[in-house]
Order: sequence, then structure tokens, then C-alpha cells
Amino acid sequence: MPIISDRVEVERKPKLGGGGPGKIPHRRGYGGGDDGDHGNSGDFHSREQRMRRYRIGMTLCIVSVTAVFVLLTMVYVFRMGKGRFDEDTRRWVRDWIPLTLPYLQLWINSLVLLLSSLTLELARRSMARKEEFAAMGIVPPRFGRDLPWLGITVFLGFCFLAGQVLVWNILRAQGAFLASNPSRSLFYILTGTHAVHLVGGLVVLLYAVAGRLLAVRFESQRIAVEVTGWYWHYLAFLWFGIFALVHFARG
Amino acid sequence: MITPSIGSTGSTEKSFLRRHFFTTDHKAIGRGYFFLSLAAVLVGAWLSLLMRIHLVWPRATLPFLDEIKPEDYLAHLTMHGTLMVFFVLSTVPQAGFGTFFLPLQLGASNMAFPRLTAIGYWTALTSFLVLMAAFVVPGGPSGAGWTQYPPLSALASAGPGQGLGTDLWLISIGLFCLSSLMSAVGFVATTTRHRAPGMTWLRMPLTCWSWFVTSILILLAFGILLAAVVLLMLDRHAGTSFFIPGGLLISGKAINHSGGSPLMWQHLFWFFGHPEVYIAILPAMGVTSHLLSVFARKPVFGYKAMVGATLAIGALGFMVWGHHMFVSGMNPYAGFAFSTLTTAIAVPSAIKTFNWVATLYGGRIRYATPLLFSAGFVSLFITGGLTGPILAQPALDVYLHDTYFVVAHFHLIMAMAGVFAIFSATYFWFPKMFGRMMNERLGRWHFWVTLFGAYTTFMPMHLLGIAGHPRRYSELSGVQYVAAMAPLQKFVTVAAIVTLLGQIIFLVNLFRSMLNGPVADANPWECSTLEWNSQISSEGFSNLQPHVNHGPYEYNISGAEKDFVMQDAPAS
Amino acid sequence: MSRALRLALLLIVVGCIYLFLAHPYWFPSGVSASSASIDYQFRIAFWIFGALFVVGHLILIFVLSKKPQTGSKISHGSWRLEVTWTLAVTIIFFWFNISGERLWSKIMPSEKKAGDIEVEVTGAQFQWYFRYPGADGVFGRTDVQKFAKPDEGNPLGIDPGDPSGRDDILSTSMVVPAGHTVQLRLRAHDVIHSLFIPAMRFKQDTVPGMEIHSHFTPTQIGNYEIACAELCGMGHYRMRAVVRVLSEEEFQRWIKAQETATASH
Ligand code: HEA
Ligand code: HEA
Ligand code: CUA
Ligand SMILES: [Cu+2]
Repeated sequence: MPIISDRVEVERKPKLGGGGPGKIPHRRGYGGGDDGDHGNSGDFHSREQRMRRYRIGMTLCIVSVTAVFVLLTMVYVFRMGKGRFDEDTRRWVRDWIPLTLPYLQLWINSLVLLLSSLTLELARRSMARKEEFAAMGIVPPRFGRDLPWLGITVFLGFCFLAGQVLVWNILRAQGAFLASNPSRSLFYILTGTHAVHLVGGLVVLLYAVAGRLLAVRFESQRIAVEVTGWYWHYLAFLWFGIFALVHFARG
Repeated sequence: MITPSIGSTGSTEKSFLRRHFFTTDHKAIGRGYFFLSLAAVLVGAWLSLLMRIHLVWPRATLPFLDEIKPEDYLAHLTMHGTLMVFFVLSTVPQAGFGTFFLPLQLGASNMAFPRLTAIGYWTALTSFLVLMAAFVVPGGPSGAGWTQYPPLSALASAGPGQGLGTDLWLISIGLFCLSSLMSAVGFVATTTRHRAPGMTWLRMPLTCWSWFVTSILILLAFGILLAAVVLLMLDRHAGTSFFIPGGLLISGKAINHSGGSPLMWQHLFWFFGHPEVYIAILPAMGVTSHLLSVFARKPVFGYKAMVGATLAIGALGFMVWGHHMFVSGMNPYAGFAFSTLTTAIAVPSAIKTFNWVATLYGGRIRYATPLLFSAGFVSLFITGGLTGPILAQPALDVYLHDTYFVVAHFHLIMAMAGVFAIFSATYFWFPKMFGRMMNERLGRWHFWVTLFGAYTTFMPMHLLGIAGHPRRYSELSGVQYVAAMAPLQKFVTVAAIVTLLGQIIFLVNLFRSMLNGPVADANPWECSTLEWNSQISSEGFSNLQPHVNHGPYEYNISGAEKDFVMQDAPAS
Repeated sequence: MSRALRLALLLIVVGCIYLFLAHPYWFPSGVSASSASIDYQFRIAFWIFGALFVVGHLILIFVLSKKPQTGSKISHGSWRLEVTWTLAVTIIFFWFNISGERLWSKIMPSEKKAGDIEVEVTGAQFQWYFRYPGADGVFGRTDVQKFAKPDEGNPLGIDPGDPSGRDDILSTSMVVPAGHTVQLRLRAHDVIHSLFIPAMRFKQDTVPGMEIHSHFTPTQIGNYEIACAELCGMGHYRMRAVVRVLSEEEFQRWIKAQETATASH
């Protein structure tokens, strides 16, 4: 193959319209939507392909999620600054009632989320270590020192969600309901949307945890963890973004 | 350990259910999208017929239907627009033909995430059914137009259909956003990771390029619409006030919301909406570029320029949304910027037009039906596109906005041009999708009727608009100078009826050929791209390894023995 | 087939040209200060883009009739051509764009002058209301939710408690004197509507929850129709009103009559 492609390289002179100069053919990608499962799943190369593929997919999800949160942030800032049109004075008045945030709870949640990010990274590493065994078709051994990091991560994830619910309850107790003021609405929207996305991540992690029972191939588990890892860290980052927004742009 | 993990095609499954319902085979899914769109277009076109008839004969009663009331007209209008834009033009050219042919043209054996793609399809189908459900709920479908401007769309008391009908509309569009996002992820991943060895970026057929860019637009735009739809839902049911201002009095009832901004919806919607119209047309452009080259037996003129223009359109598409809002009450000074940016986006479109024309220049043209429709596309795109820069000027758009001039603009460039590309793609890829050829003679007749139909239906609408005929009028009797335009409206209706009858030819041809058209051989059009590779099995390329040595459009290259060179032919 | 296609395209071009030359329907004659310049811009637009339409199709027809090139001369494209036509359309489009921007900067900005007529326009499903500040030149405050009583002639909910509202004049048609700039305050209290006066080349949405200021200057006496141009519900198509452009003194007479009428209430 490479020889042929080399000849392609030297023989076809760059041409506009014909598809441009033939570069050295890409070897990445066997051109299968499913390489890794078609016979050669043991082969390290195609496992890499699958991993890369899912990384791309995750990157794309993150891009599109980012678009949504950028938009919501813009709505937040715009709504806070603009206010409403007052019929009597006939000018725009700010109707934004600053929100008194339950900081303690919020900081705890942030901490929990940060921790979960950490444990997930540890989970990823321990799985990476087991990779080779799996490749050889040996059921990976449990190394003495590593804890069930994945389980812990999932647990922390649920703790974070619970914490968020707590935050919402505290606010509701204050009489800060979704509809009572734009500041409330947008706080619930931002945190709520974030929570929903986190649930998505949790589902995949659960799939990875329950993998053994569902007889999911180790390698698929590993991919799930690896890729969800990116998403998870991103969500943590996003959370601090939101936190910063509702803190500094309190109004 | 051997259970299939994420990513197996499943097309090997033999059981009926597996093969037809839980399949993750991109070909089956692509076909599914095709039929979904076909269903949508039939409903949409039927609604347009009812609209046209009611508009000029308000008291007419059709067999099996009683008289159409003004609010029915608006419901038809809304459903017509929604079906056509979302379920036809954003579905079949991208998700339909794309899912089917992207992997084949790239030499991949399936989409990158077959299951995600499959889920995407089922979501789209659900979304379609939810939208259809609006026809049977009390109050009927929403009557707020496909743009759903609040407060009209936000308050159930604002009119019939603004209750449950609008909820269903919002849910359906929400689902549609999810489905588009899912399939778009698959598209981009496939294009970036699963090109066969040797399929460099600049050896991709232009169809793949436009599917790729469109998918990126989808990833950025549809998330926004989803968010907007959710906010509107909250305004309707959770008492928030994002889009609903204070102090409203609707049909005598005071509404207690406060401080929302109707303009915010317009900004959100059009920030999605303008990219959306390019999402609708880019795949069509790709198909046209591809087919013109194939049937002119000539390389695409200025391949790189085409790619560049596609990217430019994609990028600029996000900066021009304000041109839909010149008279919305948005700061009039913003008009300057949006006007200039909109003019800028017309340039890459013009570049494409020129390249299409230049591709035909001096080709050994084969006048098969797909070529006819592609040529029709170019003609319609020029005609519809040229009114764009006129609308792009605030001073002129103030007069033309929300008149039939706009209706003419987007029906020529979006509706008719888009549909022409769908037709040419159908006639062209039918052998691959159904293994048989479509009938040429019927195809030609269909082309003539549709071409003249398109022009006679939508050209006169320019004059209506110029004379100040507003859009979305369910009857002409309300305003005197509008009533005076009845004769021309009648003419348009007749033209539309003829055009629609012409579509019967297509449907007959489609289904007859599907059942017993002449069996097609591997490469009936002598096309050079991989999907015509004779060795493709039902498994796609999963077993053989195409190695790409040639560009996508090598026709009549001097020195080649045949007049075309397959992309995976051994390097000379 | 080739000949048929070319013939069809030619037919279409000729048909479209005929349609626009014959134009059974066209702009109503412009009767506002800016309509002349707008119509001029329209004329330019239709000539330029009409020409592009014709040229484009003629070129299309031409290439369809061209003899096939032979192998060696087959072209993959040429940057020289690309650059040429890109520059060409860029120049055409942006020249046109700049002339349009000029026009917009001429007609859009509004500075109030003495002698301008102030009118408040309110769109409601499915009726237009026009309010004049009356003798004191001040609009009374309104609160639709509290005071609106369409049947008792207070559809805008003018606050009875507000003295400046007592002399406000309410009308269902817009009455204005020729030659004076009309300063509009556009409002709506249910859904979005759009005040469209084709003869004045004027259109502006009325958006609930905000107050939009706009203006036009009628130059000819007469009655001109107003249509609603933003979908506002099932009555959208019949949300009609009339602009009555009167001579200076007739207008004064009308105002007087209205003032006495409102005073007698
Ligand atoms: C596929 C969909 C599609 C496409 C591609 C376009 C393309 C363009 N559109 Fe259109 N548009 C719509 C779909 C589309 N539009 C829809 C659906 C609406 C209405 C929405 C609603 O309100 O419901 C709309 C409305 C709309 C408006 C708002 C009108 C109003 O509501 O007041 C404007 C204003 O600027 C506009 C501008 C443009 C421009 C400048 C282009 C440009 O991209 C056009 C560029 C193309 C050309 C310029 C032609 C190139 C050819 C030549 C240059 C000829 C020369 C060639 C030779 C000589 C060989 N469009
Ligand atoms: C793709 C988009 C599309 C298409 C194809 C059409 C097709 C048609 N439209 Fe539509 N129309 C819109 C998009 C479209 N429209 C939109 C977005 C609006 C605005 C809605 C709003 O204001 O909110 C609108 C509004 C609209 C109006 C304006 C009403 C008003 O403002 O008062 C009218 C009036 O005549 C009209 C008429 C027609 C007619 C007669 C047809 C056709 O019937 C012409 C003949 C039909 C065809 C040629 C289609 C047949 C195609 C196929 C069979 C494809 C095959 C499919 C597969 C192979 C999968 N349409
Ligand atoms: Cu009021 Cu349309
Ligand atoms: Cu647009």
C-alpha cells in the first residue's frame, strides 16, 4: 500500500478541481463505522480507532452544549441589564431582584463535583493499567491498592445532584421560585440545564459500572469511562463558570 | 464478552425486526428518512393546496372537508411551513441521502455511531408523529406561523390552536432538534475519522463536504433552538416571563406576566433560523455540484473554490440573522451591520453559481433526468437568490418585509430549488437505494411540469409583494387594495394546482420503479465516486478495503481508457 | 433534449421579463417625503438584479449549447476566472449595498422638529387605535389591565385620574396634515402587530412591552389604507385602518371638533 501511495504522491501533479494533490493516504481509520468489532477487535490499532472516534463524538457534544450555555449566559446578562419597560415613566427600569445564594451549600456541591472529577480520573488510570490484560483476553485482576473509583465517582455525582436539589429547596424556602423574578428563573434554568447534562454523564458511568453484569466488553467500558471523563471535567468547569456568573453578576 | 458492543452495524442480523426496526445499518436508516420526508412532503403539499384554494375561494367546500375557516388557514400555514422546512428540507437532503451515502462515498462501512444514528431516526419519526397529532387535538394545530413569535405563541388565550396545538408544536420541534444533533454528531465523526485510506479531505466528493459543513451548522444552531423552545415552554406553563411582557390584555383578560421581551425570541429564533435555511440548502448545493460534474462528464470547475464557498457560507450564516428583524423594533442602527454582512454572504453563493455554470461549459452533457433537475436548481437558485440582496437593504425591506415578495424569495430559492435538488438526487441515487432504475420518460414529464409550475406559481408573487400584499392573510376581503389582487392570486392558485398534480407523475414513477423498474447494474451513470464501486456488498465496505488513489471528479481525463476514473482505481 | 431545455429556459426568461414589464400590479404611488428616493432605489435594484437574472440565464443557456471540449482541454478550474467573477459580483453587490446604506441613514434617523404631529398608535387584536395628546400636548398615562373598557370608549385604558389624559383624542383612523412630519409612538397590548402604510412606504412592528418611535412625512392629501403586516391571530387579514391626510386648516378644524367632542364627554 504505502508504495503505491508514494507513487501517487510523485506522479499526480497538483490539480485544481481534480481533488488536489494526492497526499500520502491516511492510514488512520479502516473506513469502518465499526472496526474493533469486526473480527479484529483484539488488534490494538482498531481499539485505538474506536477510542478516537468516541473522543471526536464527545468533543462535538461538548461544542454544542457550549453553544447552549453561551446563549443562556447572554440571555442572563441581557435580561439583567435591560430590565422592563415601565408604562408610567415610559423608560426602561431594572426589575432584577438580586438572589441571596446559599453559598455554603453551593461550595460544598462544588467541592463534591471537583472530587468526583478527581476520582473519575483515577478510575480512568486504573482501567488504562488493565488494558493490556484485556487485550490478551485475560480477565483483568484487581490491583490491591485501587479502590472502586468508578463507583465512588457515580456516588459523588449523585451527591452533587442531591446537593443541587437542596440548593433549590433552600431558595424555594426563601420564596425564590422559578417564576418570581428573572434572576430566579435564570438561576434555575442554568443550574437545571447543567444538572440535566450531568445526569446524562451519570447514565454512561452507570453503564460502565454495571458493565460486568451487562457483559459489556472491558474495552467498551474503558472507552465509556475515558470519554465521559472529558465530559465530566467539562461539566465541572462549566459549573464553576455558572457559579462565577451568578456570583459576580448578582445584579 | 462477545455481545456486540457500541458500534456494530447489526445489518448482519437476519431476523425481520432486526432488519427493519432495530437495524443500525445506515442504508436502512437513510431509506427510513427518505420515506419520512416523503410522508411529510405529501401532507405539506396537500396543506398548501388547501391554503391556495381557501385564499381565492374562501367559501369553497372540498369533498370530504367542510369549509375552511380563517383560523384553519393559519393552522395549515404553520404546519405547511414547519413540515416543509424541518421534515422535508432539513431531513431528506441531509439525514436521508447523507446517512445513506456519506459512508459509502467515504469508503466507510457505516456511520461512526450507528446506534446514535438509529436513535436519531426514531426520534425524528416520533417528532413527526407528535406534530401530526396537533391535527386531532381540540383547537387544532398552532396558528402562529413557523416562526412562532410570542406573545401570540406564548399565550393560549391568543387564539385557537395556541393551546395544546402549540404545545405539541414546541415538543415536536424540541425532539427534532435532538434528532438532528444526534445524526450530526455521527456525520462529523464519520467524515473526520472514517475516510478510507487515501480519501484525503480534498478527494472528498462535494456532497460529503456539504454534509460535513451542514452538520457543524446543525451542532451549533439546533442546540440554540432547543434552548429557546424550552424557555418558551416555561413561559407557557411555569409562569416565567422570558418572552412575555407585562400589562397584557388579551381578549379582555389581563395576563399577569412581567418584563419579558418578545424581541428576545426573535433574536434566538433567527440566530438559529438563518443558519437553518443554509442547513436546508447546502446539501442541495452539494448534490447539484456532484451531479453537474457527473452528467457533464467533466470535473467540477474550481473544486477548491467550491469548498471555500461552502465554508464561507457556513461561517457567515451565523452573522446575518438580524436581516429578518429590520422592522421588528430592534435598534435601527443594527440594520447597517446586518445589511452589509448579508450582502457579504451573497458573494460565496454567487461563486458557487458561477462554478456550476462553468462546470457545464464545454461538457459532454448527458441529458438524463437528474441533470435536468440540477440545471433547474441552478436556474431557480439564481432567480430566488437575486431577490436576497434586495431584501437585505433595510430601506427596501421596510416595504417588502412580510409581503409576498418574501414568500416568492424563499419559495424559489428554498422550496423549489431545494425540492429540485431532492428530485435530482432521487432520480440519481434511486438505483443504489432500490436497485432499480426510474423511468426516464415520466421523469422528463415530471421535470417540465415542475419547472414551469415553479416559475408560474412563485414568480407572480413578487408582484403581489411589490403591490404591498402582506403575508399570512387568510382571506383577501379584509383590506381593499389586497382584495383588488384576487385575479393574480387566482392565477397563482391554478398554477399551484397544476404543479401539484404534476407531482403525481413523480409518485407513480417512484413506486412503480420501486416495484418493477428495470434492474440497475452497479454503475449505471458511470460515476466515479465510491458508492458506485461494484464490490460493495450489503455490508458496505466492511470486508474489502477501498484504497483511494484519485480525486472525486476525474472525467474525460486525457490518457484514461474510459471517460472516467473510479476513485479507487489503481493509481495510473 | 438539450434544445428543449434551452428553449424552456429562454421561455422562462422572456416570460419573467414580460411579467415585470407588464406588471399588472405595482407599487401604489408614493405619497411620503421619502418615497421618491425609496422608489428610485427600488428601480435600481430591479434593473441590476433583473439584468443579472437575464445574463445568468443567458449564460446558462449558452453553456448548454456549447460544443464538448476534447480530453486535453478539459478544465479543472482557473483561479484567474474565480478571482475575476468574485471581484465582479463583490463590486456590484457592495456598490448596491452602500447606496442602500446611504438611503437608510437618510430616512431612518428621527429628530423632532417644531410643527411635528405626535400620534400614538396602538395595535390590538384586531383593530388600530390612534391617540393625539390634545391641547396640553401630553399623553395621559394608560393602564390597559385596570381601565380598559372598549365598550365605554376607553380601549387604551387611559387613566381617568390623570388630568393630562382628559383631553386626549382617540380615533380609529389616523388623521394627519400634509407636509408635517408625523412622529409615531407605536405600542401594542396583546400581541405583535405591524403598521403597514404602503403608500407611505412605511412599516413598523408594534411590540407589546415596549414603545417604538418612528416617523413619516405625508405629502399628498387623500385617504390611504393601513394593513397589519405581522401575524397576530385569526383576524390578522382584516386588521385594517385608513390614514386621512388633510390640508393644514382642515386638520385644525378636525382637531377642534374632536377636542370639543372629548370635552363634552
Ligand atoms: C434555502 C433557503 C434560503 C437561502 C439560500 C436564502 C438566501 C438568501 N436570503 Fe433568504 N430567506 C429564506 C430562505 C433562504 N434565503 C427564508 C425561508 C426566508 C423567510 C423566513 C420567514 O420570514 O418566514 C428568507 C428571508 C430572507 C430575508 C428577510 C426578508 C424579510 O422577512 O423581510 C432576507 C433579508 O435580507 C433574506 C436574504 C437572503 C440573501 C441575501 C440570501 C443569499 O444567500 C442569496 C445568495 C444568492 C444569490 C445572490 C444568487 C447568485 C446568483 C447570481 C449572483 C447571478 C449571477 C450569475 C451569473 C451572471 C451567471 N432572506
Ligand atoms: C421546503 C419548503 C416549502 C415547500 C416545498 C413549499 C411548497 C409550497 N408552498 Fe410554501 N411555504 C414554506 C415552505 C415551503 N413551501 C414556508 C416556510 C412558508 C412560510 C410559513 C409561514 O409563513 O409561517 C410557506 C408559506 C407558503 C405560502 C404563504 C401563505 C401566506 O403567507 O399567506 C404559500 C401561499 O401560496 C405557499 C404555497 C406553497 C405551494 C403552492 C407549494 C407547493 O405545493 C409547490 C408544489 C410542491 C412541490 C413541487 C413539492 C413536491 C415535492 C416532493 C414531492 C418532494 C419529494 C420528496 C421526497 C423524494 C422525499 N407556501
Ligand atoms: Cu394585527 Cu396582524
Ligand atoms: Cu435569513
